[in-house]
Amino acid sequence: MTNVLEIKKLSKSFGDLKVLDAIDLTVSKGSTVVIIGASGSGKSTLLRCVNFMEIPSAGQIVLQGDLIGSGTGESMSYSDSELAKMRARVGMVFQHFNLFPHMTVKQNVMEGPRTVLKCNTAECERRADRYLEKVGLGWKADAYPSHLSGGQQQRVAIARALAMEPEVMLFDEATSALDPELVGEVLQTMKELADDGMTMLIVTHELGFAYTVADRVLFLSEGKILEQGDPEAVLINPKQEATKNFLRGHGSFRLPEPNLD
Amino acid sequence: MEYNWDFGAVWTYRGLLWTGLQNTIILAVVCLVLGLFFGLFVGAARYSTRPILNYPATAFVELFRNTPVLIQIMWFFFAFPIISPFQVDAFTAATLGLVLNTTAFSSEIFRAGIQSIAKGQWEAAKALGMTYMQQMKRVILPQAIRRMVPAFMNRAVELVKMTSLASVIAYGELMHQAKSIAAISFNPIEMYTAVAIFYFLLIFPFAILVRRLEIKFQPGS
Repeated sequence: MTNVLEIKKLSKSFGDLKVLDAIDLTVSKGSTVVIIGASGSGKSTLLRCVNFMEIPSAGQIVLQGDLIGSGTGESMSYSDSELAKMRARVGMVFQHFNLFPHMTVKQNVMEGPRTVLKCNTAECERRADRYLEKVGLGWKADAYPSHLSGGQQQRVAIARALAMEPEVMLFDEATSALDPELVGEVLQTMKELADDGMTMLIVTHELGFAYTVADRVLFLSEGKILEQGDPEAVLINPKQEATKNFLRGHGSFRLPEPNLD
Repeated sequence: MEYNWDFGAVWTYRGLLWTGLQNTIILAVVCLVLGLFFGLFVGAARYSTRPILNYPATAFVELFRNTPVLIQIMWFFFAFPIISPFQVDAFTAATLGLVLNTTAFSSEIFRAGIQSIAKGQWEAAKALGMTYMQQMKRVILPQAIRRMVPAFMNRAVELVKMTSLASVIAYGELMHQAKSIAAISFNPIEMYTAVAIFYFLLIFPFAILVRRLEIKFQPGS
């Protein structure tokens, strides 16, 4: 299997605070990697370093064999135009959706292909129709984001990222800002993407989702990958004490299987 | 006290007043256009994190925001020609003072308007692979300008009123014409009342428009 993404010795500090400490991670084509961990463990920062929303302090990122930036791992330098080109190849979905409020749903999805990829109008429309249909929101194409529910907005944000036809998708706590009853539709959309073979790197608190969808789960603690493996190994049979504590916290109030017939 | 109002001179000197009104409008429009144009760049420099852009822009804004426009106009008319090789006529001196003042204020409107846009908008545009200029042009400015419109209209209203300060250096705008007419026809009360009404008629429609726009562009509407 080819590696879409290789992260080598990635470190990130904010001033004296070391948030990521020499992370190594490879993501192979079509796989779904889920990152879990307590808040402050560095999982969002790790994701944001992958497409240089945060510039790593040290380490290297290789996308489909292309090393991003130049220099040695200790001191890399990046040009703005190189980073813009790189980001166009990586889709990102944010906690707070960040749709463009002055554009309709369809214009939101067309914006990337139009402005960044310089696609012609027919191609932009084709992509918008296709990916809005994929997230089940073709019927909302002419609505403005403010008229959509949170779950619908997030699905549009997913379509907007997909319209760039990215090599890998990043999800940064994509359901954390949603009302509980809206979480399901977004997770369902993400699962369908995973089933389609999209390469995905996901930060989430939805452990049930991680268990169902992930090929590999990473538990991050204090800027390091403390434990990783398939969902069964990390989420059901954790070995590290920190992982166990984390899972204990998440499972302290649990519903027995509700009878929904 | 009995006072016999006599507005006859307003009609007699209507030609002078009409010229004054035209000059007021010309001065206001020229200063508004130039002030907004330069304000965009100074605002961008103020927004920049680079000291080489930010520091001079900040110094400029603070200097011209915190000194009276009247003094700026007089300074450009009386002092500037002495310390520089340029001859400065009344229109140029008034334009310099008002443009620099409008630039300072409008740059603050631009800066505040851009800063009012949520960080997530920059991030979303950036994550799509947009360059800084594309982020600004496609995502930030279209949203920010809507929020700026009422503030700019307010500035325009202030500017029209400030043009009357050009009368102190004898630029022939409305206020200066009124002063001249009052001096020859001995009727300052009527003349100043009349020009007050002219200014009001010129500005009031603007003020109504500002209020309409403020309601229209309120967040969440």
